[in-house]
Amino acid sequence: MEELRVVGESTQFIVIKLGDEQYGIDIKYIDNIVRMQHITRVPKVDAYLKGVINLRGEVIPVMSIRIKMGLEPDVETKSSRIIILKLEQQGTIGVIVDEVKEVVTLENENIEKMAYDSKDEKASFLFGVGKCEGGLISLLDLNSVVLESV
Amino acid sequence: MDVSQYLEIFLDETNEHLQNLNTQILSLEQDPENMDTINEIFRAAHSLKGMAGTMGYKRMQTLTHDMENVFSEVRNGNIKVNADMIDVLFQCLDALEEYNTNIRESSDEGTNDNGALIKRLNNIMSGGSDEEGEKASPVSEAPKDSPVQVDSQDSQKFREIKLNENQQNVLKEADRQGKMVYGLTVKVQESCILKAARAFLVFKAIEETSEIIVSDPSSQDIEDEKFDLYFSLIIISEEELDKIVNAAKSVSEIEDVIGGVLNMNDVNSAKEQEEDDAEAPQTAAAQSSVRQEKPANEAPVQAEAPQVQPAVQDQAPAPVSTPAPAAKKPAANKPVVNRTVRVDIEKLDTLMNLVSELIIAKNSLVSASTMSGNSSPAVNEQIEYLESVTTSLHESVMKVRMVPIESTVNKFPRMVRDLQKKLGKKMELYMSGEETELDRTVVDQIGDPLMHLLRNSADHGLESAEVRKERGKPEVGSIFLDAYQDGNNVVIEVRDDGNGIDTKAVKNKAIERGVITPEQGENMSDKEIIDLLFNAGFSTAKVVSDVSGRGVGLDVVKSMIESLSGEVEVKSKLGEGSTWTIRLPLTLAIIQALMVDIGDEKYAISLGSIQTIEDISPSDVKLVQAKEVIQLRDLVIPLVRLSDILDIPSKKNPEDNLVVVIVKKGDKQAGLVVDELIGQQEIVIKSLGKYISKCKIISGATVLGDGEVALILDANTLI
Repeated sequence: MEELRVVGESTQFIVIKLGDEQYGIDIKYIDNIVRMQHITRVPKVDAYLKGVINLRGEVIPVMSIRIKMGLEPDVETKSSRIIILKLEQQGTIGVIVDEVKEVVTLENENIEKMAYDSKDEKASFLFGVGKCEGGLISLLDLNSVVLESV
Repeated sequence: MDVSQYLEIFLDETNEHLQNLNTQILSLEQDPENMDTINEIFRAAHSLKGMAGTMGYKRMQTLTHDMENVFSEVRNGNIKVNADMIDVLFQCLDALEEYNTNIRESSDEGTNDNGALIKRLNNIMSGGSDEEGEKASPVSEAPKDSPVQVDSQDSQKFREIKLNENQQNVLKEADRQGKMVYGLTVKVQESCILKAARAFLVFKAIEETSEIIVSDPSSQDIEDEKFDLYFSLIIISEEELDKIVNAAKSVSEIEDVIGGVLNMNDVNSAKEQEEDDAEAPQTAAAQSSVRQEKPANEAPVQAEAPQVQPAVQDQAPAPVSTPAPAAKKPAANKPVVNRTVRVDIEKLDTLMNLVSELIIAKNSLVSASTMSGNSSPAVNEQIEYLESVTTSLHESVMKVRMVPIESTVNKFPRMVRDLQKKLGKKMELYMSGEETELDRTVVDQIGDPLMHLLRNSADHGLESAEVRKERGKPEVGSIFLDAYQDGNNVVIEVRDDGNGIDTKAVKNKAIERGVITPEQGENMSDKEIIDLLFNAGFSTAKVVSDVSGRGVGLDVVKSMIESLSGEVEVKSKLGEGSTWTIRLPLTLAIIQALMVDIGDEKYAISLGSIQTIEDISPSDVKLVQAKEVIQLRDLVIPLVRLSDILDIPSKKNPEDNLVVVIVKKGDKQAGLVVDELIGQQEIVIKSLGKYISKCKIISGATVLGDGEVALILDANTLI
């Protein structure tokens, strides 16, 4: 069992997998995690917008982080999930991930802010890297992930 | 005392009163002698003053106080209404409006004293005596039995209480037992905030010594604070009247209690009058001394009640004292108590959402029962029943959300009057169909576009009086605002008998502005040219005026109306006037739609835009300017292959007949080619959210019975 430490500020993240890499999403933005379901395609929108789903009667847009970040397109597997995020500006939106692993609590001292490298496209979606027992976790900056590409 | 929680009510009511004042003053302008109007204005100003005072808005109070004074003078016949006075009054209303806006924005009335206005009001007043205003103010206590004029009709309100048979029997029984029957009218101080609580205390005080038989308004309404300053009671007691009155008066914030002995003749007299209007007003009217026309015996008659007349009593609650013409006048002044409840629009939205959910659930049930295949007749029957219930539930909720457009269009007569002065043209606004109902959200937003159109008609449409005379038209220009329901749409027309749209001028302007090339201009129909007016930055007014002509009018009108899923059309004839037609859907939330298959996907098309569905052989598809068209009943209709537009490979064999859904927008039509028709369905429109806003051809989404999401095609964008 992991001991709960009360020293210093800490943030909880949900660890997800995209390909081989682990990413963290701040838990405060997460509304829900649902299994993969049929996504209704919406024509004439950006490729990363996969479409809309019905979440308990509400119609929620779903996007692919993979396509947005320039990775290989999603392959739907048994462990694929849609994470429903609630953001201040964009409202509710779902993102597709390969797998949801666990929840980790990171002390702020264990979060390393990224030295911002504008050339690395992928890096612009991250705000830092967290260190924990399971290795390194890239922490997603959701606002830039979700931000509409112009 | 903290009054912030009452702010919203205050603002709401102030708006109502201001609107009322506007309307009344307008009609006063037409008919300066009408006492009813003057009384109504006085009352509204008076209420405004009271409310402003309660909320601590001193400046607003001062201004309304002076307005009230002026009206008090008018009412007493000391001064006459004239045009100048009307102008000043309108300015006062504007000033009050400004206070109200300030309060809405910052909960502070602002610092504008409007000293000049008050001075003008006082100038108007200067003929009359100052003391009059004092008399009209609510502070003046109305001494019992010698009521001041203003209060007279209210002070004996208990005599107007309607009794049903039961209550009458109780009273008669009490009478027989030698108990006294009293009527009480209690006036709460205008500054009182918790009127219901005070009323409750009065009830309690009275109940210690007597029995309350009936109250007006009903105790429920009093509890809900649905009464003005007065409420009346009929009680049975063995105590002296004075004692009871004093007990009631001892409750704080109660301004006055008027009591009177009620004899049984009062109760029945009305019915006699009902049967025979010619008979003299009975004691019921006797103490309403001011308007009394015939002498009536005031002596309390303890006699046995006259014969019971069941025929009339059956119509409980039978009006007791209204039929006498003398009593009618004060009744007209009494605010009509509406049996309504103010509901937060958010609660209605929640209700609507729940109804939507219910309809989705119902659709799921329907598809589940057909899917399972073993549906018994009993299940089907119940489903049908459920269907009819949900449909009527939906209709009722929709009706609740519907409000008459009156609240929005009521401000227009005033606006046109102001425009008339500003533009120096003579014009008259005729409105009809103000009672037409629309969804609340639509009504709230339709005001601005309509205002634009009216201003447009007044400024650009109508000619000046001289020109009109030359053209043989009546000097006074007419603007019409007509609203009516047309199927599932509500149509609002703004019409004027002015100059109409000069298409040549518009064309030249468009070419000059580079909106179109001269060659394009050659080939354009008049209608297309008129449509140019809706382009942003287009104005044909030669001079930019205060009223319109900045070129930000019509494009805004169009986009606002389109955002409400409506459309706007213009018809115009040079020299004769123009008609602007706005067409709005009755509701925005739930529609009947045709479900269609395109490739693997399902789409919904609003039934409202569909005209017909045609089966077309591929050989009938012709090419015109490299575009596919079909000919249908002498009309050439362009084809839109949805599978191409939506990027879905069609599943149909190219040689098969095409299923074409003919949709229309205004006069234009288009044929949408789909793979397969699924059927008609009631669907709940859900927004795609702002995140997916790029896709213009999709107007929303809906959840189908099986839980899947289907997109709704916006046929208007495809034409």
